[in-house]
Amino acid sequence: MTAIALRPAPAPRAGTFIRLVTTPDRPDDEKALVLSAQRGELEAFSELVRRHQRRAYAVARAIVVTHEDAEDAVQDAFLHAYRALHRFLPDQAFGAWLHRIVSNASLDITRRRKVRDAEDLPESVASPFRDPAESDELRLRLRDALAKLPVRQRSVIVLHDVEGFKHSEIGKLLGIPEGTARSDLHYARSALRALLQQLRSPQ
Amino acid sequence: MIYDRPSLRLVPDDGDDGDATLTNTLRALYAAPESAGYWSALERRIMDRIARGETLDAWWSVPTQWARLGLMAAGFALIVAASLFLRSHAEQRQMAYDSVLGPANGGPTLAIRDAQTERQATINYINGR
Repeated sequence: MTAIALRPAPAPRAGTFIRLVTTPDRPDDEKALVLSAQRGELEAFSELVRRHQRRAYAVARAIVVTHEDAEDAVQDAFLHAYRALHRFLPDQAFGAWLHRIVSNASLDITRRRKVRDAEDLPESVASPFRDPAESDELRLRLRDALAKLPVRQRSVIVLHDVEGFKHSEIGKLLGIPEGTARSDLHYARSALRALLQQLRSPQ
Repeated sequence: MIYDRPSLRLVPDDGDDGDATLTNTLRALYAAPESAGYWSALERRIMDRIARGETLDAWWSVPTQWARLGLMAAGFALIVAASLFLRSHAEQRQMAYDSVLGPANGGPTLAIRDAQTERQATINYINGR
């Protein structure tokens, strides 16, 4: 097993709005893991799964509607990544490569769901891991509004506001220009803000 | 376990005027499962599938499988299109020739009587036959 070095996070500047982002660090260590996995060492790939599955889940969760679909997308993506590992150049960022695979797997699931469940859309983005405050009206209405947003807009706002991806990164993940990611974010926020406004000032 | 706590990076906001309430609610909605057991189980499921050599017929295997069929179909379509084009081109060329030179058969033609026959007819008339 390779030694792990934890890098301390830098202190935030005073008054700065900050966002917590998980990041695959320890690049040298990771490159060694990738090389080992490419040689067929399952334990090395297992370590890569361990390091990246949370972030992979977050990317998938931003795109698909349900927790179960996100889970499926993560599993499929890791399987695909394993099969395609020989084509991966170890000097690249494994995380970025994996996220593109996760994104594609998620979009693939979304497309298949659309065809299969065209007339039976889920009422919410419920997850078995949500806290008991499910009854909170804001949350309920936000869930409904999110479910009504176009897939791309929903993905963009979640990837940006929840996961902290930059517009350029979102563009690469979803295969859209950076400007489109910006405008999608704008439209998604507008839609959701309008909803929140209604909620704050009921008729 | 150390890997169950992902490393954190503090990133300044990139200037977007996000709504704090909206962002916080979204984060609550999309929070990933926190149980370490959940992630261990997921990792185990992934590695089990890999160990079984499970294959997926997904989006990036499709191009490889369909590329050959697609190429064959495209080649066939190209041959058909080319033969149709050549045939049509030949017909058009024939029609162009016909319009200039006149049709090969049919249509009004100027009949030229045989001079010998005319003379013979005159002689016959004079002779009172």
